[in-house]
Amino acid sequence: MTFSRLSDLQLDTLRELSNIGMGHAATALSQLLRRGISLHVPNLTVTDISEVPTLLGGAEMVVAGVTLDVLGEARGNILLIFPRESAERLLGALVGQTGLDPLETPLGASTLCEVGNILASAYLTALGQMLQMVLIPSVPRMALDMAGAVVDAVLIELSQSGDLALMLETEFHDNEGGPEPIRGHFFLLPDPETLHVILKTVGEDL
Amino acid sequence: MTEKQRIGIAEYRVASAPQVLVSYGLGSCVGIVLYDPDLKLGGLAHTLLPERRSGMGEARPGKFVSLAIRQMWQELLELGADPERIVAKICGGAHMFHPPPEDPSRTIGQRNIVTARQTLAELGIELQAEDVGGGLGRTVEFDLASGKVLLRFARGQERTREL
Repeated sequence: MTFSRLSDLQLDTLRELSNIGMGHAATALSQLLRRGISLHVPNLTVTDISEVPTLLGGAEMVVAGVTLDVLGEARGNILLIFPRESAERLLGALVGQTGLDPLETPLGASTLCEVGNILASAYLTALGQMLQMVLIPSVPRMALDMAGAVVDAVLIELSQSGDLALMLETEFHDNEGGPEPIRGHFFLLPDPETLHVILKTVGEDL
Repeated sequence: MTEKQRIGIAEYRVASAPQVLVSYGLGSCVGIVLYDPDLKLGGLAHTLLPERRSGMGEARPGKFVSLAIRQMWQELLELGADPERIVAKICGGAHMFHPPPEDPSRTIGQRNIVTARQTLAELGIELQAEDVGGGLGRTVEFDLASGKVLLRFARGQERTREL
């Protein structure tokens, strides 16, 4: 499967699958935070791996990232990226203000991992139901650093099979209407073989 | 003021003074600098994986530690660099995510570092300095006029370090 050869119909199918999965994930986050969460229309990008950090807002921007492997009948990675300030506000809402930088504490780090776990599980459950596949998230891992450094480990997995990455990205933010919303980006990066499996299941394979 | 040339993931470039080459946000990637100080000629690679394995789709030399070093070396020699003068510096190869893996020697960052040292030794290139491993991302800036290699960090006590 070559990412660059996907048809418009296949791209739409992937976008729609992701949209539904993300809807479930947003509901989970909304319940967790007890506030509304808005989603943007998913972006589907086929891009050169060297451009991925730029798409995330710049390789040097400090972000909190949570990543999980997708295990089961389809494989890939899920990556959740929060700009540093958004991650701090998210943790502030969940664990309260402690006076310490919440991202630097073990409680904050494990809470953020758990948020990643909840979002990924909701997303994968919805996706798995549609595709009639069992999709399981691995244990989440967290990093706080420059965006380029956070994503390169995830890209390494992908780069084994090619120089292009397919990213299904959904931006979300909370609806409190304040000047400083909690924003994040949710990425699904399927393995090339997995993409083939997904498209075959929904009858859009070439 | 010279414009900095960005070397993205899986890319490498050979250049000469007064250019400045920079790779932003190296995590487990390894940045490799080769330099001939007399000609002020050198290269920077932003590599992702140790070596190309059979069955790996498209091959871009800048993606692989061993290939990138060999290609830059070759290009430098073609441009007239003296193999006896070329020196190397490497950085990166961190492990970014927590919890850390059970066997730290198996991380991709560590394998990249080991491959870089090995390839340099095979080519007889002196490894002049390194700043590798750990858990912090690095930005590396290579000034071909002075040969200086500067590292920047987004976290930790020390935010810049000369390699």
